[in-house]
Amino acid sequence: MGYFTRAFVSERTAGCIVMGFVLVLPFLLSFNPYYTSVFVSALILGAVAIAWNLLAGVCGQVSFGHAAFFGIGAYTSAVLVTKWGFSPYFGLVAGGVFGGLGSLIIGIPAFRLRGPYFALAILGFAEVMKLLALNLTWLTEGSLGIMNIAPLPALEIGGLKIDFYASRTTNYYVVALLMFSVYLVVYFLRRSNLGLAMSAVHGDDETAAGIGVNVFRTKAIALTVSAACTGVMGAFYAHYVRFLSPDTAFEGYWSVMPIVASLFGGMSTLIGPMAGALVITGLDEFLFKQFFETGHKLFFGLLLAVVIVWAPTGLFGNRVRKNAEGAKR
Amino acid sequence: MISATSIVQSLLSGMAEGVNYSLYCLGLAFVFGIVRIINLAHGEFLVLGGYIAYWLLVKWGVNPLLALPLAASMAGAVAFVSYRVFLQRIRTSSELNTLILTFGLGIFLANLFLQLWTADIRNIGVEWMEQSLTFFGIYVSVAEILTILISLAVVFGLYFFLTRSRTGMAIRVTAIDRDAAALAGINVERVDLVAFTIGGLLAGVGGPLLGMLAHISPGAGLHITVKAFILTVLAGVGSIPGLLVAGMILGVGEALTVTFINASYRELFGFVLFIVILVIRPSGLFGRRL
Repeated sequence: MGYFTRAFVSERTAGCIVMGFVLVLPFLLSFNPYYTSVFVSALILGAVAIAWNLLAGVCGQVSFGHAAFFGIGAYTSAVLVTKWGFSPYFGLVAGGVFGGLGSLIIGIPAFRLRGPYFALAILGFAEVMKLLALNLTWLTEGSLGIMNIAPLPALEIGGLKIDFYASRTTNYYVVALLMFSVYLVVYFLRRSNLGLAMSAVHGDDETAAGIGVNVFRTKAIALTVSAACTGVMGAFYAHYVRFLSPDTAFEGYWSVMPIVASLFGGMSTLIGPMAGALVITGLDEFLFKQFFETGHKLFFGLLLAVVIVWAPTGLFGNRVRKNAEGAKR
Repeated sequence: MISATSIVQSLLSGMAEGVNYSLYCLGLAFVFGIVRIINLAHGEFLVLGGYIAYWLLVKWGVNPLLALPLAASMAGAVAFVSYRVFLQRIRTSSELNTLILTFGLGIFLANLFLQLWTADIRNIGVEWMEQSLTFFGIYVSVAEILTILISLAVVFGLYFFLTRSRTGMAIRVTAIDRDAAALAGINVERVDLVAFTIGGLLAGVGGPLLGMLAHISPGAGLHITVKAFILTVLAGVGSIPGLLVAGMILGVGEALTVTFINASYRELFGFVLFIVILVIRPSGLFGRRL
């Protein structure tokens, strides 16, 4: 968009434009319910991408395994609800908590070292989590998967009944709300002192340590918050799709696509990943799948390579000016 | 009941597997040690080599051993092109960019394999290789013996190339001190290109071996990359003989996990080992202190 108008917009304006677009999208797509569900997953992806970008774009730690936290969140909620009869709303919260806790297992050993150890350790972590989901059959039903997960129960607010079971559009707006909440969490976190510390770590660990930033703690907090937000989205996914298997919950998609979306949209802004997720999903659905039905994801790989080499600031990175608070960084 | 023979059997097959592991990770460890790039597409280069050998066998009945050089050179060519087209341009930017770039190349290749060869798992099997020999009640297949010999030959071949040839020495000098190497008249840019291509070649040799012993599939690459990185960390960056030892530890550990605990937890061993190494001795068994 920015490339056409040739004008700078503030991050807040860009955020409003994207959010406005998200709100009207179901009306544009109402001709085919299939597309609504495509964009429900686009928004789940958008939220995960924002969370991923807190770690990568703000704190400078690239994760290649966010699928781990997504899957942990999804399984936590699904198991709590189907086996022990908790409310799915409680499941969403628990999914976030467990996602965050799970991230510490890998974050604590890997962040003690400088360099690329974290990025690679988390690749292995995602594989191990999938393996555990496959093998801890007493908990997860193994490769059979958990079926008939309860949808989010209907809400009644002042006589208005919101039913999640019947309507895709309702689910769409719930996930839009969740995505916006994740955005706000990341937005306020970045503005806080902790956010400044994260930017300092992104710039240079050693300098950051030199001015008194606790580098290890800062990275660990960024990871935990990012993983917790991802876990909540995973939990929502479980109740939306209502079926989980190790292959779907820990699908490599949830590791790869947040990276593609964030890079494509621009990692230096908070809104970029969200916009990137929408554009990427649209491109995939309407363009890539027309070329190769089975291997259409090869375009994402190519896109990553091309963007990182020739347009590292992403599609919107150059055009979105950081607002006053952001400029302080 | 676990008998003594089965323990010996699992120890031996673990060691055999371990030697092959060190070949599978040789390319990644070499490139990381010399060029300081972690090639996340390493596993895909390896799988590419495997598919080339598979194709040659299925289409023209070429003996997988004869297919090795071609498989290696195809993977090497892909590595060369990847370096010239992409990596060279962001060589100087942050490390994370090269990680993301090679990760993207890996996704591209994995999905290309999926498109070309479908998701089915493929085995490169020839009848005479699957025959097994028995020594004192312990089974070894011809393929296992062959792959061990090839793996050892490649590992030592690389070692002697690095220590004896002029190019090898230039590569080592560049790894130790880039600026000094450039001052001494070594074209360091060229060394990077050569080293990355050799990394691709080494990966390409591993693919057919993996296909002979087990099987290859489009998604297998990432798995290999993770394992290769675990071994590189375990051995310590820059230690080629260390890779053999590290490979054995992983292979034997996995085999014992299968024998004593459960076959499905086999992959867990490597990861636990990785975490332990990161906590206790991040420089690896034979590496320089970080």
